[in-house]
Amino acid sequence: MMRVLNICVIGALVLAAADVYTIKFESTRQAQRVAKLRLEIRRERDAVASLRAEWAKLDNPARIQALARRHLQLGPLEARQADPLDNLPERPADLVAVEEADPIAAVIANPGALGRPAAGNVPAATR
Amino acid sequence: MMAMHVSAADRPAPARDPWRRRLVASLLYGRNVDRAAKTRGRIALAVFIFALGYAVIAARLVMFAAAPDGHGSRRAIAQDAVATARPDILDRNGEILATDVRTPSLFAEPHRIIDVDEASELLTAVMPDIDAAELRGRLASKRRFVWLKREITPEQRAQIHRLGIPGIGFLPENKRIYPNGAEVSHVLGHVNIDNQGTAGIEKWLDARGLADLHLAGLATDRLQTPVELAVDLRVQHALRDELIAARAKFKAVAAAGVLTDVRTGEIVSMVSEPDYDPNNPREALDPTRINRLTTGVYEMGSTFKALTLAMALDSGKITLKSAFDASHPLQYGKFAIHDFHAQNRVLTVPEIFTYSSNIGTARMALSLGIEHHKWFLRKTGQLERLRTELPESAEPLVPKRWAELNTVTIAFGHGLSVAPLQAVMAISALMNGGHLIPPTFLKRSESEALALATQVIKPETSEKMRYLMRLNVEKGTATKADVKGYYVGGKTGTADKVVGGRYSKTKVLTSFTAVLPADQPRYLLLIMLDEPQATPDTHGFTTSGWNAVPVGGAVIARIAPLLGLEPRFELPPADKLILASAGGR
Repeated sequence: MMRVLNICVIGALVLAAADVYTIKFESTRQAQRVAKLRLEIRRERDAVASLRAEWAKLDNPARIQALARRHLQLGPLEARQADPLDNLPERPADLVAVEEADPIAAVIANPGALGRPAAGNVPAATR
Repeated sequence: MMAMHVSAADRPAPARDPWRRRLVASLLYGRNVDRAAKTRGRIALAVFIFALGYAVIAARLVMFAAAPDGHGSRRAIAQDAVATARPDILDRNGEILATDVRTPSLFAEPHRIIDVDEASELLTAVMPDIDAAELRGRLASKRRFVWLKREITPEQRAQIHRLGIPGIGFLPENKRIYPNGAEVSHVLGHVNIDNQGTAGIEKWLDARGLADLHLAGLATDRLQTPVELAVDLRVQHALRDELIAARAKFKAVAAAGVLTDVRTGEIVSMVSEPDYDPNNPREALDPTRINRLTTGVYEMGSTFKALTLAMALDSGKITLKSAFDASHPLQYGKFAIHDFHAQNRVLTVPEIFTYSSNIGTARMALSLGIEHHKWFLRKTGQLERLRTELPESAEPLVPKRWAELNTVTIAFGHGLSVAPLQAVMAISALMNGGHLIPPTFLKRSESEALALATQVIKPETSEKMRYLMRLNVEKGTATKADVKGYYVGGKTGTADKVVGGRYSKTKVLTSFTAVLPADQPRYLLLIMLDEPQATPDTHGFTTSGWNAVPVGGAVIARIAPLLGLEPRFELPPADKLILASAGGR
């Protein structure tokens, strides 16, 4: 009876030891992976930083200005080129009510709608 | 020893020699004790102690297994200690103004070098620019660690690596990069080889606690939150571009400009030409390249008249309808105050401003008295050193004894030297409704600015000042800056420079202060030219209206679209638009 118990205990001990070993081994492996990934992240971040610095250098307004002068016929924006939204003409009134299911069919069915004064701002050529 | 002795005496003669046994037993246990019970107790004690020992060992094992592996990370920190990281500096739109880039640096451990001659020969072959004698001296030194060259290129690193010299190694270091070169130099400042800030915002960053972080070895990661400045890189470039052109055109010693947001005190752009490239900080040592806007003090000339007029109008004793006699020069002891644009008649307050009359302004200040004048200038921050984030600042030159003559001259901007940024702060307050807001290089919201602000003049006075500024552009000395669509208001200033203790007749400092738009002020621009020369275009004049004002106009035309100001045409003249809303005079 005692012998069986002892054997069982020894077996359990060996199993536990093996299990602890695998866990430890796995954790070491994971830790190494974490360290490696950290290093990679840091390298990537450094690379991103140096690329961003390079981008900023290429994007420098003085450089862009020199390039634009050489290759483009564009000039700086002038105040006269800007126009406030108030000066935008009114949107032309809809030819057909928006809620119509088939607008084209509605026009065909009632061609007179196009000539209606309600058409408002639509240029004469399209009437 | 005792136990050994007992067992030896005990076992061979269990019963033969009872008296000896009894003696020993009595010595060990006492006479009437159950030995078996005692033994059990001892065994239990031993078991307990051993169990405790194993428990401690087990607990330590668990702790070691659970705690992260501290060794590697500690080494990484040691490696980074030389490579102190700094936060990125961004402009107000997120463009990079300063950032860190990793570069390898070459070091040696001289005690591990086998052949010094061979090593130095090989290294000089890869890096021809290094001083061979110095290199040899360093390699032969007795120290355990020497830097050979900081910040080498990746190609050099690869070549040296391939040489395989023992005792030579690389450490990655952070190198500060300013991708925009000289563009924002005076605001940013620069760092030394150890990445410590030595000027400008960089120094401010260190003073704010970054230096302590470095000492603790914590500031190694680049994940520090970037610092956002109020500077707009595009506006900064436009301003600098125009100032460089102006400096060349007028052969000026220096040209400077600053643009602030009058509602928040943010400095959107600041240029002082000549400037330097912060990537090459040695240039900054040249005294001609100082930041004239914060480190220099100047007599601002007629620009100061705006302050005098604001003081007069705010006192309530003088209105826009008041008139002062400017019909003949103001005699003061042996001094006579003249007008540059002399009208030789009685002038009203708006006329004094638009003709930039020295006599009228002086009389105005005198009528209020010295103490009032001093009190007003102190209130608007003109008599004390202005401190911003930049470590460089200059104390204004205030006369030690302030007599009536001082008030007379200071009224039109002579006899008191202030940092131009200081004058900008005061004039912003005259424009924005009377809030004196300390200028800042960092982003700031309007509510934060209002919390910091002090009311120095009444809002109505501010309206009147804006009217005068606009009037001066419509029909005064600043007509050349009337950029259509932006309703510019402005005041010119031409100050004679002091050369050898006397006012020079030929060397002047011209300035132009503009507010845009004058009816709803958003920005204040100051342009300053140091010793501009006359050109054929200026008909021999060197006054502000011929140089600083057209430059200001060109700058405004260029930066206003960048600032998102909506152009408005067909606005009525100043007396209709601004004065009418101010509710008459």
